[in-house]
Amino acid sequence: MDLKQKIEKHLLEVQKPSRYIGGEVGSVIKDKSKVDVRFAFCFPDTYDIGMSHLGMKILYSLTNARENYWCERCFAPSEDFEAIMRENDIPLYALESLDPIRDFDFVGFTLQYELSYSNILNMLDLAGIPIFAKDRTPELRQIVMAGGPCVCNPEPLADFFDLFVLGEGEEVNLELIDLYHRMKQEGATRLEFLRAAAQIEGVYVPRFYHFVYKEDGTIDRLDVDEGIPATVRKRIIRDYDKVYYPDNFVVPFTEIVHDRVSVEVLRGCIRGCRFCQAGFIYRPFREKTADTIFAQTKALCENTGYDEVSLASLSTSDHGDIDNMLTKLIDYTAGERINLSLPSLRVDNFSESLLNKIKKVRKSGLTFAAEGGTQRLRDVINKNVSEEEIMNTCCIAFEGGYSSVKLYFMMGLPTETDEDIVGIAELAQRIVDLFYSIEDRPRGKGGVQVSVSCATFVPKPFTPFEFEPQDTREMVEHKQKLLLGSTKSKKIKISYHDPNVSMLEVILAKGDRRLCPAIYAAWRKGCKFDSWEEYFKPDLWLEAFADCGIDPSFYANRRFEYDEILPWDHLDYLVDKAFLVRENKTAHESKTTPNCRQRCSGCGVNKKVGRECFAKSKSNV
Amino acid sequence: MQRVRATFEKKGRAKYISHLDLNRCMLRTFRRSRIPIWYTEGFNPHPYYSFALALSLGFESSCEILDFNITDDEMPMEAIRDALNAVMPEGMRIVKVAEQKQKITAIAKAEYAFSLVTDDSAGLYAAAQTLLAQPEILIEKKTKKGIKTVDIKPDTEVLTCADTGSSVDITMYLPAGTQTNYNPTLFIEALRQTTDLPFEVRDIRRTAILCADNTVFE
Repeated sequence: MDLKQKIEKHLLEVQKPSRYIGGEVGSVIKDKSKVDVRFAFCFPDTYDIGMSHLGMKILYSLTNARENYWCERCFAPSEDFEAIMRENDIPLYALESLDPIRDFDFVGFTLQYELSYSNILNMLDLAGIPIFAKDRTPELRQIVMAGGPCVCNPEPLADFFDLFVLGEGEEVNLELIDLYHRMKQEGATRLEFLRAAAQIEGVYVPRFYHFVYKEDGTIDRLDVDEGIPATVRKRIIRDYDKVYYPDNFVVPFTEIVHDRVSVEVLRGCIRGCRFCQAGFIYRPFREKTADTIFAQTKALCENTGYDEVSLASLSTSDHGDIDNMLTKLIDYTAGERINLSLPSLRVDNFSESLLNKIKKVRKSGLTFAAEGGTQRLRDVINKNVSEEEIMNTCCIAFEGGYSSVKLYFMMGLPTETDEDIVGIAELAQRIVDLFYSIEDRPRGKGGVQVSVSCATFVPKPFTPFEFEPQDTREMVEHKQKLLLGSTKSKKIKISYHDPNVSMLEVILAKGDRRLCPAIYAAWRKGCKFDSWEEYFKPDLWLEAFADCGIDPSFYANRRFEYDEILPWDHLDYLVDKAFLVRENKTAHESKTTPNCRQRCSGCGVNKKVGRECFAKSKSNV
Repeated sequence: MQRVRATFEKKGRAKYISHLDLNRCMLRTFRRSRIPIWYTEGFNPHPYYSFALALSLGFESSCEILDFNITDDEMPMEAIRDALNAVMPEGMRIVKVAEQKQKITAIAKAEYAFSLVTDDSAGLYAAAQTLLAQPEILIEKKTKKGIKTVDIKPDTEVLTCADTGSSVDITMYLPAGTQTNYNPTLFIEALRQTTDLPFEVRDIRRTAILCADNTVFE
C-alpha cells in the first residue's frame, strides 16, 4: 500500500482532514524526476497556525521559482492524527508529494517561538530522522536546518540541528541550496558540505563551536574549529523594495488563523522599545514604496481570490509614505469589495484623518499596547507613549462610535514596583471615566468595556533587557493579586498569561547548549504543543530540568553581567553589544531614547551595513 | 441577469473539503475567475450562490449543483464554465453550466454508489440481501432535535447489489432535498449491526440528483 492510500484509509477519522492531504489552490506540484533538490519547509505547529506564517509563503514561492528545486510544506499533526500515524507506520510527510520528509535533501524548520521546540523533536521522531545531529548519516542528505527569529539564540537546540540560517532568508537559502546541489553532484559528505556551508555569511554550523564553562556555570570561552568563522553575521536584504515577494499564496480549504492576503510593508522598527526583540533583530529599518505595496496587494488578491488583506510590519504607521500608501490601497480594496485590516498601528501617530480613512473601510476593535502602567515605567522600557496620547486617541475613538478598548501590559518589567501595577488599574479606570464624560458617546449595549491583558515580561537576547532577570513566580503572583485588588470597575476585565509559560519561554530564549538534553528529556516525558494551554505540562519540564541537573533560575531569575560571555555573543545581529549595555543603563535611569528617525542612537547597524538608515532629508521628521 | 446552475464534480483530494470549507472555497474561486457574479444588495454585500445539497465529508460526487446569478446577460454558458474551471481546486471541475430549469424543491432523491470491501464477499452479500428482505430497517439517526429511530426501508431503493469477489458493490436511491435526507451510511450502519463480518467502506459517490419521477434534476 502506498503512503497516500495509508493516509486516506484513516483520514476521515480525524478532525479537519483537509489539513493532511494537500491539493490546495496555489500549492506547487513538480515532476520528481526533473527535480535536483527537495526541501521540506516544516512549521513546528499545526497546519492552522503554520499556514498563517508569512515567511513560509515567501520562501516556499522563492524556492519553487527555481525549476529544479522543489519546496514542500510540512506541519505538526494534531494529537488525533499523530496517534494514527504512529499506529499505522505513517512517517511524517510533505503535503505536495505526500513523500516522507526523511527522504528529502533539506528539512528546514522555522523557529517562531520558543514554545514550539518540543514539537520539532516530535516531528523529527515522526519523520524517522535521528533527533541528534551527530546520529545522522555521514552521507549528504537529510540536512536539518532552521531559520526564523529564535535562531538569534539557537544554542538550546544546537545538538539537534546541522545548521542555522541567521537573518533574512531570501538570498542565503538559495545560496545554501545551490552549494548543496553542486557538492551533491561532486559526491561530498555531510561534513564536507557543512564545512563549506559555514563559510556562507549567515550560516551557523553549531558542531564547529565548543563552549567551555566556568565553575559558577557561566561561559568561560568559546573554542571554534580551524577555518570556521569566529562570529556569524545575520543576513539582510539590501534592496528591500526589489526583494522577491510571492504573487500567489497556497489558499487553504480549512480556516486558518490568518486567513487572508498578507503584504509586508516594511522591515525593522524605528522605535527601540527595550523589551522588544523584533525591534532589534530585524534592523535596519527598510520600507517598500507605496507602488510596490499596491502592486503586490493587487496581484495576491487576484491570484488567491481572498477578499481580505492585511499589512504586515512591526509598525505600519511608521511607513514614510503612509497616507499615499493607504489611499492607494483603500481606493483599490473598496472598489473590489476587499476588507483591508491594519494591525500594528501605534497610538502616537493615530491621527484623526488616518482613523477616518480606516473607519471608511471597516470598524474593528481598538487595541493599545501601553505595556507599562505608569509614565516612569514606560520611559524605562522606552515605550514612548504618553497617557495624554492614549486618552486623546480613546476620546476620538469613543466620539467615533467605539465602545471597547483593549490594553496590553507586561508585568515584571525591570525596575517595576507595586505603584506601576496599581497604575495599570488606574489607567484603565481613567479610560472608563473618560468614556462617561463624553456627551455623544455610543449609547446602549452596557456602556464601555476596557479589557486589560497582562503578559509576564520575558527578557530576550539582543535587546537592552537581555541582561535582566525575570520575576519569580511568587513575585508575579503577588502583582497579579495586587492588580485584581486595585481594579474597582466592572467595566474593566483583567486577564493574565500563565507565569509558568513565561518561565519556560525565558529559559529557552536565554539558555545555552546545556539545555539540549533537558529539552530531549522533556519531549521523552511527553511534552509537546507547549504553547497550547491544554497540552502544556510545566511539571514535566521541571522534572526534565532536575533530571539533567539544570537549575531553571540560573537562566530565568539571574542577572547576566554586562561583561559575561552570553550564549549568543558569537552571533552578530548587527546591533552592538555596547549599545545594548548603554541602553540598559539608560533604562535604569528611567530615560528614553528617541526613535531612529528623530536621531540615530548609534546601535551600530548603519556602520556594519555601510549606509545610513535614513536619507538626510528625512532625519528631522 | 442570468440565473445559472452549475453541475460540478468533487473527486480525489477534494472529497476532504467539508461543506463549510466548500462555501469559502467557492467564494474565492468566483473571485479568482473574475466572472461577473451578482452580489446581494444589503448592508454587507456578498456574492450570491447556493449549493442544492450538502455532500458529506469524504464522499465523491459527479453531480453537485451550484446556483448563482451572473450580471452579464450576454456571457455564454461555456465561457462561465471555462473561467471557473481555469481556477478550480484540484479534484473539482464544472461539467456543465445551464439555466435553472427546475426549482430546488423539485429535488427528491439522490443516487449513491459504494463498495464494501471484505474477505468474505459471499457472506457479506448474503447479509446485505437478508437485511434488504426485512420488512423494516430501523436505525438511529442524528437530527437537529436529537437522536431518533427511523425506518429507512420504505425510502431505500436498491438498484444494484453485486458480489465482485472482493467486495459487495451497491447502488441505491435515497431521499434528498428540502424534506428528508438519508445518507448511505445509515444503511451501512444497519448492515454492520446485522453481521459480524468485518468490511471496509470505500468510494462512496453521489452519482445523480433526481426528481420524484427519477428524472435528472436540471
